[in-house]
Amino acid sequence: MKPNHHLDDATLLSYSAGALPAALAVVASAHLERCAACRARLLDADRIGGVLLQQQRVGAPTEHARAAMLALLDTEPAFEQETLPPDIVEEHQPDRLPGALHPWFGNSMRALRWRRVAPGVQRIRATGISGGDLMLLRIAPGSMLPLHSHGGSELTMILDGAYDDVLGHFGPGDVADLDGEIQHQPLTSPGVPCICVAATDAPLKFAGWVARTLQPLLGF
Amino acid sequence: MMGSDQAVAEVSSFRAKRHVPPSPSNPTPDALYWSAQMGAVSVKRDRASFMRIYDHFAPRLQRYLRNLGVPESMSDELVQEALLALWRKAATFDPARASLATWLYRVARNLYIDHVRREPHWLPIQEGLDRLEHAESARGDSQPESFVDQDILKQAIDRLPPVQAKLVRMCYLESKSHSEISAELAMPLGSVKSSLRRAFAKLQSNMRAPQ
Repeated sequence: MKPNHHLDDATLLSYSAGALPAALAVVASAHLERCAACRARLLDADRIGGVLLQQQRVGAPTEHARAAMLALLDTEPAFEQETLPPDIVEEHQPDRLPGALHPWFGNSMRALRWRRVAPGVQRIRATGISGGDLMLLRIAPGSMLPLHSHGGSELTMILDGAYDDVLGHFGPGDVADLDGEIQHQPLTSPGVPCICVAATDAPLKFAGWVARTLQPLLGF
Repeated sequence: MMGSDQAVAEVSSFRAKRHVPPSPSNPTPDALYWSAQMGAVSVKRDRASFMRIYDHFAPRLQRYLRNLGVPESMSDELVQEALLALWRKAATFDPARASLATWLYRVARNLYIDHVRREPHWLPIQEGLDRLEHAESARGDSQPESFVDQDILKQAIDRLPPVQAKLVRMCYLESKSHSEISAELAMPLGSVKSSLRRAFAKLQSNMRAPQ
């Protein structure tokens, strides 16, 4: 199952540069885990970084620094120990959250402890993330969300279920990487709830469809 | 090094035409040269080759990290750590996948996010993504970075319109988010993103030169 909706080029560039706010980077990583096409584009973005690194104007390293580097090599064991494989798996597995989300929400979709925030809408907010806001949302099947455009950056990835809007059909693995000008009104598909992970880059200042939906109901 | 350049010229005259050979005015060794040095590090654990890589890249990594605002003592440490990673993981370097400059850029960027931005989960995630990419490369699914592409990409970056060039540099060399760039330049967020999109499209088209 290959995703049909991908990360925006500007988002990938920022991810490659280490400049994407932390919450958005978590969602981008979750999509990259599932999407070989975006991984290939990310390598292109990293190549730009490689060339910019080459272009840095510099002098020669000091003898002191060279000697310190060589001394470090002496302390190295001859063979490197194999590290544990990280929890990154490309295939979509039922119940399993993408590895990038494990530190924030655990690994099992079934084990999530949802909190009802509005009729048909449940949420879990990640705590302790430094840059931006990160949350899981579970929206009842067949729900129409009220909509609009917004100012900040927002990135949403579908984990289960689906929705449709003017941009098309969004299913598991797809990301909605919206810039401020797009207006949309997602309608979740019938059958199962739509579960997604959403990130915004502005902590405490709610913007975007997630917020506009919840704001009046929650009194943010 | 000259021998390697001639070998490329014999294989493909088209590539050779686009290739910029090292000369007194352009003394930077090319990706093919670094790939050979990495081979010696990996297979023979050759320290002289390692130090050639160190002498060239350590000051560049240092400058890159200092520009990102990393304090000097920490940047010294991170440069050592990046090159130690190179020494340890030389066998996993695949010149068909990425040039040494790209490889080291990733290592330094990852260390920056781990140590300076303090995102503790970034390194294992990047390692996981790297493994997926490695598997694709082994299956022949990925686009290799050819040795001449770097020169073409460098020229393409130099030819970017001034605004796009500025945004690309603020992004990569100052690690500024879209919102930060937007605020600093008093430029709408949408314009920042669309300029970066156009810049990336241009640079990418140069990486995919017609064969």
